[in-house]
Amino acid sequence: MSTDSFREMKAMTGPAAEGQPARSGTNAQAPDGGTSPSAGTGTIQPAGRGKKPVRRKGLSERNRPLWMLIPGGLLMFVIIVLPLFLGIYMSALNLDQYSLRKWVSAPFIGVGNFVEALTDSPLLHSVWLSVSYSLIAMIVTLPLGIAAAVATQNRFKGRAVIRSIFLIPYVLPSFVVATVWRTMFQPNGVVDSALGTFGMDAGLWLNGPQTYWTLILVQIWASWPFIYLLALSGLQSVDHEVHEASALDGALWWNKLRYVIFPYLKGPLALAFLIGMLHHINNFTLPFVLFGVPAPADVEVLPILTYVTSFQSFRFGLSAAMAFVSLVLIAIPLFIYLCAVKLDDAETPGGKK
Amino acid sequence: MRFAPSAKLAAVIATAALALTACGGSSSSSESSGGAVDGAGKKLSVLTGVNSQYPEQQKEWFKDIAAKFKAKTGADVEFETFASANDELTRIQTSVVSGQGPDVYSLGTTFTPTAYATKAFVTLSDDDWKKVGGKDRFNQAALGISGPDSEHQAGIPFVSRPFVMAYNKDILAAAGIEKPATTWDELAEQAKKMTNASTGTFGLATGYKDNFDPWKFIWAMSVQAGNPLVDGDKLKMDDPTVKKAYETYFGWLTKDKVVDPAAIGWSNSNAVAAFASGKAGYLMMTTSSSVPTLDKSAIAGKYAYSIMPTTAPGETSPKGDGDKAASILSGDNVVVADYSQQKDLAFAYIELITSKDEQLNYQKIFGELPANADALASLTDPKLKPIADAAGKSKATPFTGAWGDIQLGLLNVTVQSIPELAKGAVDDAALEQRLKDAQAKGQASLDRASKS
Repeated sequence: MSTDSFREMKAMTGPAAEGQPARSGTNAQAPDGGTSPSAGTGTIQPAGRGKKPVRRKGLSERNRPLWMLIPGGLLMFVIIVLPLFLGIYMSALNLDQYSLRKWVSAPFIGVGNFVEALTDSPLLHSVWLSVSYSLIAMIVTLPLGIAAAVATQNRFKGRAVIRSIFLIPYVLPSFVVATVWRTMFQPNGVVDSALGTFGMDAGLWLNGPQTYWTLILVQIWASWPFIYLLALSGLQSVDHEVHEASALDGALWWNKLRYVIFPYLKGPLALAFLIGMLHHINNFTLPFVLFGVPAPADVEVLPILTYVTSFQSFRFGLSAAMAFVSLVLIAIPLFIYLCAVKLDDAETPGGKK
Repeated sequence: MRFAPSAKLAAVIATAALALTACGGSSSSSESSGGAVDGAGKKLSVLTGVNSQYPEQQKEWFKDIAAKFKAKTGADVEFETFASANDELTRIQTSVVSGQGPDVYSLGTTFTPTAYATKAFVTLSDDDWKKVGGKDRFNQAALGISGPDSEHQAGIPFVSRPFVMAYNKDILAAAGIEKPATTWDELAEQAKKMTNASTGTFGLATGYKDNFDPWKFIWAMSVQAGNPLVDGDKLKMDDPTVKKAYETYFGWLTKDKVVDPAAIGWSNSNAVAAFASGKAGYLMMTTSSSVPTLDKSAIAGKYAYSIMPTTAPGETSPKGDGDKAASILSGDNVVVADYSQQKDLAFAYIELITSKDEQLNYQKIFGELPANADALASLTDPKLKPIADAAGKSKATPFTGAWGDIQLGLLNVTVQSIPELAKGAVDDAALEQRLKDAQAKGQASLDRASKS
């Protein structure tokens, strides 16, 4: 799990970095200088200096050896861009086990796969499941993670131990987490007998409608330390003086937390929300190990559906189309979100922390 | 210490260079001579499933076979293993697309039609068959899933793994049952006699959450009722025989109550464990690979195998070739990759591993039945007798690239019915709807198969 998140974080730098020059570009061409309040003060130009306002290049932008980006750019192209386009091309082919061998010459069917994916497959249902389950898990983990971070902020005896214990679910491999939970959720298993002592009959955990909540529960257990970790890092960035100042002003703990500390957490938590959502939506291991394939209809989330289409039904073209549709569906809110929070780099002044 | 990084880098480069030259060396000379295969200096690459039950023995076997192969042809053989069918599929896909990879693959029988559909493997000519020792050396029943017909066969049988049932002699005797059931109705009757919920003893042990067992029951009962499931290019999953099969299979749990209610969460291994603890009369859908587990358990010496019923539920005698459908035709096939540059060497390897001696040796180590006819006939262990019988009474699942989808559909009906099974009754209308969905999906898959 941890490696996954890191990979996503790395992938994140892609769009963020691309967004940067584009934004400063619009500022330069805007006739009355930078209007966006969040744009760096360094790029604001005095208005009306001829038709073409010449943007003074920042110190860090002069004589940039851009060619040094070539190796990295090449790698990005080979590892990210090329497979993406191959995937898009595949989604337009009627590619299955019969045409796999000479896949380049597989029959071209245009949007046929997309039509089938949207109208004649459980894709939309899966999208709904994926997004809703991710969101619910996220909304529950957020307060949990923040509370844990706040609770371990002040020094007390055994804090290091507690902090380490909090991280256990995060460092356990997803596979292990899912296997352990699956064992506990067996009919007449540990969970059932524990609930049984209170006279409760919970029903089936690994089959039927309740599986949706099982998945959410396990996801919450496995992923709240991630929020905790980022909230903690946010808390660490609060200067000592801020605590002192608010204390001098007589702020009690809730007011201090609400109006002084939480604003500091906004950036890290926004990032945590984004990465967490992406991670949940892409999580294959957890549902796969918990429920197996074919999955109960109530937990046929996107990665499971794509997997089954590809590797059980061997409809590679259709599954590429599904993957692409889900990519677009996820990319839209992601794009809006990225624009809204403006994850800035260290050099741009005025960026939100 | 300051030199460490560069030293490490140098080491990495050196190893990489070595590895590269090693690869280059092995792939260079590749002329093949007729007659006896001279493979001096060549290397054959074989991909086979990892044996999680006997990992050490498998490594020994690899070494042993490699030495014998070297003595026979002068060539080396390199084994690679995959952990699951999905691993294997990924390997096949990349190899198929890139045209390079292992020379010889080991495939499960039900996966053979899918692999055949990719056309990436050699369809054996008469000449090729001679090179692997002739078609006659194999148990003829085992050839049933080597290809779509006897002229077009790609899979060479390596081991048989027919499905049988095991029974607890003591529990059967205590219930006054003289011999194991031969019809599914009789089986249910006997199971009822043996079930005693107060002591936790149940007539049957089987896992409803297993990834394979459910569809095998449905297939067997349908075939025995005269419905081959796939008839030409028509899928017959909406047939009443299929529904009857599901009702019988679910009925053990809901109506007859001869299965532990916890079995809705069981896989096959849970069922084996229940049987091994002496809590069940019959263990359904098992293979000879359960011998080592059972021999170490509480019921060692108290159990025996028998072929599963061949008379469909509600019938008095097998219909059609139902008596030949005691089990799906199960086991492993080996196939030779079409892109391989050293096919003769590959055939020589297969000739070696399917020879009588090697097959018997393999049986002794791993408990799998030989596909070699002589070797199969020479088995004397009475415990294995019914299993060998079942190997002769195995029927191939329909040979179509769509089978994977159909199998998934059959299994999915069970998966989606489990919540209702837990409640004690499967709704008739819901079952019919599920069958209808599976029929539609499977038929679409068959249509694609017949088009290409």
